[in-house]
Amino acid sequence: MNKQSIDASQWVDRYGDLMYRFTLVRVKDPGIAEEIVQVTFFAALQSVHSFAGRSSEKSWLFGILKHKILDHFREVKKNRIYDTSLPEDQDPFEYDPSGHWRKMPQNWNLDPEKASENQALTEALARCLDDLPEKFREVFVLKEIEGLDSEQICNDFNIKPTNLWVILHRARNKLKKCLETHWFDLEGQD
Amino acid sequence: MDFMMKLFSLTCKDTSPLISEMMDHRVPLLKRWKIKIHLSLCQVCMYYKEQLQTIRSLAKKLGQEDVPVKKETTLPQEAKEKLKLMIETNK
Repeated sequence: MNKQSIDASQWVDRYGDLMYRFTLVRVKDPGIAEEIVQVTFFAALQSVHSFAGRSSEKSWLFGILKHKILDHFREVKKNRIYDTSLPEDQDPFEYDPSGHWRKMPQNWNLDPEKASENQALTEALARCLDDLPEKFREVFVLKEIEGLDSEQICNDFNIKPTNLWVILHRARNKLKKCLETHWFDLEGQD
Repeated sequence: MDFMMKLFSLTCKDTSPLISEMMDHRVPLLKRWKIKIHLSLCQVCMYYKEQLQTIRSLAKKLGQEDVPVKKETTLPQEAKEKLKLMIETNK
């Protein structure tokens, strides 16, 4: 089997935009995304000798990129308090005194498994994700986009499990509300 | 009987965070039963559950290497030149 080879002079043209977009989905800030791509290429150059050629050049670079994105999240968490006590952190949905939804969830008429085949809906989620308050966005990205398991997030980011469930529940509810307002046009319906 | 009802019944307000929680870790058996019973009786909470699953499936798609969104977004030309220079110097 032919070993995959490395051609660093082509990295920017071949993978630059793709890596940048991949990072932007996760970190939102274009300046930081640029920096992470740069740090990734630099780290890749330092470890070219360890490239065994078992994976493609692209997968190898993306592997390093994922590590660098997580490093970035670990860096930000030093200044982040993952509490949920502020008014804007509250659950966007309300219940009546007997515990029923004040605004009933509507049928989206979608098969959850096939929903992601809908390009425009996926784009709508990306926009809603960018509108989430930062601490909710970070935790949601780690859990649902990076696919980290809950225990790892709690350990790495110093979040108590009960707090993690609350943050994820609020994040999902905020995304649901945003999609209903901008995509499903259900806002205001009862 | 009232006691039994209380033991097994959840309101929508109780159920909503638990539906989310169930997506993140294995919840204890009794809790899972309670959620199941509530969902079998409550169509709107069932819709809610499907909505959270839809959001999960969309997020998974967003995370792919071949990013399905922001396709018009590219690294600024200046950044590309800087990166190429950095690579040439450190190769």
